[in-house]
Amino acid sequence: MSQQADAKKIEDTSPKEMKVREVDPKEIMAFLKEKMGARFKMWLNICASCGMCADTCHYYLSSGKDPHMIPANKVRYLREILKKKGKVDRDFLEKVYNTVYHECNMCRRCTMYCPFGIDIALMISLLRSLLLSQGIAPEGLLQAIENYKEFGNQMAITKEDWVETIEWCEEETADELVGLKIPIDKKGARILYTVNAREPKFYPQDIMEVAQIFHVAKEDWTVSSDEGWDDTNLAMFCGDTRTAKMIVENTFKRAEELEVQQIAVTECGHAYRALRFEAATWLGYAPKQEVVHSVELFHDYIRDGRIKLKSKLKEPTTVHDPCNIVRSGGLAEKNRRLAEFLSEDFRPMKYQGNYNYCCGGGGGAIPMGGEMRKYRLASGKIKADQIRETGAKIVFVPCHNCIDQIRDLAKEYDLGIKAIHFKEAIVEHMQIPEEMLPKEDEE
Amino acid sequence: MDFFSFVEGPLLWVAFLTFAIGGLLRVALFLAISRKKDAVVYQHFSWKYVLATLAWWLLPLNKDVTKNPIFVTSAYVFHICLIVVPIWYSGHITLWEESRFEWTWSAIPDGLADWMTIVFLATALFLLLRRIISADIRFLSTFSDYLLIVVTAFPFITGYFLTHGTLDGVGFLGHNIDIIHMLSGELMLILIPFTKLSHFILFFFSRGATAVEFGRRGYSM
Repeated sequence: MSQQADAKKIEDTSPKEMKVREVDPKEIMAFLKEKMGARFKMWLNICASCGMCADTCHYYLSSGKDPHMIPANKVRYLREILKKKGKVDRDFLEKVYNTVYHECNMCRRCTMYCPFGIDIALMISLLRSLLLSQGIAPEGLLQAIENYKEFGNQMAITKEDWVETIEWCEEETADELVGLKIPIDKKGARILYTVNAREPKFYPQDIMEVAQIFHVAKEDWTVSSDEGWDDTNLAMFCGDTRTAKMIVENTFKRAEELEVQQIAVTECGHAYRALRFEAATWLGYAPKQEVVHSVELFHDYIRDGRIKLKSKLKEPTTVHDPCNIVRSGGLAEKNRRLAEFLSEDFRPMKYQGNYNYCCGGGGGAIPMGGEMRKYRLASGKIKADQIRETGAKIVFVPCHNCIDQIRDLAKEYDLGIKAIHFKEAIVEHMQIPEEMLPKEDEE
Repeated sequence: MDFFSFVEGPLLWVAFLTFAIGGLLRVALFLAISRKKDAVVYQHFSWKYVLATLAWWLLPLNKDVTKNPIFVTSAYVFHICLIVVPIWYSGHITLWEESRFEWTWSAIPDGLADWMTIVFLATALFLLLRRIISADIRFLSTFSDYLLIVVTAFPFITGYFLTHGTLDGVGFLGHNIDIIHMLSGELMLILIPFTKLSHFILFFFSRGATAVEFGRRGYSM
């Protein structure tokens, strides 16, 4: 819902320019000299223009096979900028902006099919970072960055509001499960659970559901009252590594202070990728705490019998593979198996797993708000077709950005499906131990 | 020294050395810069993922085989012939035997070398036509993409003419086909390190680096 609201708010489709200024070729070249690794140079040199990446891309396929959308073509700007020694103008950078933000979700599917293993998405990410260095980035992401800096979360939620929300969630849920607590700042807990700031703002049921799952699984967990509780990292999408670093630092700092063993990430894709795989690079050291995603946590609970299911979903289901959880997160198997655990009639998508298509909502497309809407609805056609092909009525989507996108796709392409997080299905179908059932006769 | 002696002597040395040293320098340059700027690859380096990816993509065990079977088949055949014929053709081995190194190894039958040459040229022609006919590939292609296919095919055409005497009666070409053949091979060798033909060696490093990047997420690709 929130995204539609955003979409209405932001009508302007041009990138926000933090300050309009002349492009500085020297600065561009200095930036590239510092940031451009040997891999990037090698990739620009050896790409044989074989075209294997073309039909791997949902933008290419959904645009009626427009050759401009071929992944190999999208990084041509990097080659051009190097060739021109950074002497490009603002119009040129606007074109780069259009390609790297409106025509790529950095999902990395093309890389899976490139004979040389060229990581196009990394180069797109570098270009986004370069644009930021020249003061160009999407307004939606810049606003979030401001919020991170001021409030420590992307939604500008104050500490008081956050704590109040958790306490309210606890009260609301305690009626359903005897003894349920949402432990705040519990020192020495096994898990520090982190959420997407959208949850306290718009989807508190996500917090209530996870509290019920943890309670039934008898998990030793806590949430942080202080900055670091929002695990999202929208700064990553526009290559603002300084803010990206600050965000993960907040979380690891709290994990350290609370002496937890693991940091668990809600059903959000990029948050997991940032904390689990990119943080070490930004921080310059490997954090002590292990980072786990909800998908693996829930999967393991059910596999190990910590959560028993009293029933399964009867309607046909399928599962989406969010790129930052599956392709760039390594959780393909657990994602699918969790869906199978919960379903009587599971129907895999074509290309289920590491080779699945992007939904079109990744790489910052959702938080970019209105300017991105038409592009993501168009490119999402491939995902819509995939879902329709399975005949599923329920689609598990363990990612906040993907779920917004797939819900929008359901409306746009009239899919007749319901997209849900795993939490919702688990809470509905898990067996509640006798002692946790509320005693109605005592009333 | 006449031109023939120059082409079969010093120029051949230059070509081989440019190819070998140039290739090694490309690798050295990659390693030197990546050590500093691509630390993530070294931090998570794992032979398991590197060897798996190389096996899957050197052998036809990858996803492109089913996605684009015709292109992939021609690309494999193209590369196999490109490597096998120049190294194991009996005429070339004889030259190595007669050289100062006196190296020798067993040859493939001449008939097979003939067929492989023809098949190679057919696949090269196919790859060239695909590049011209397919709107997508044409859009992506730069001048060097076309040129390098021709450069690579040229030693095979001239080699075929040379061994079969096809052009024997055709004046200048007929008299000099041996020189033209050597020159075309030398041109290709010299161009390899400076063009995208450098993928002959960088392929291993590019695939390896990306395999590590995905391998640290727990799977081979």
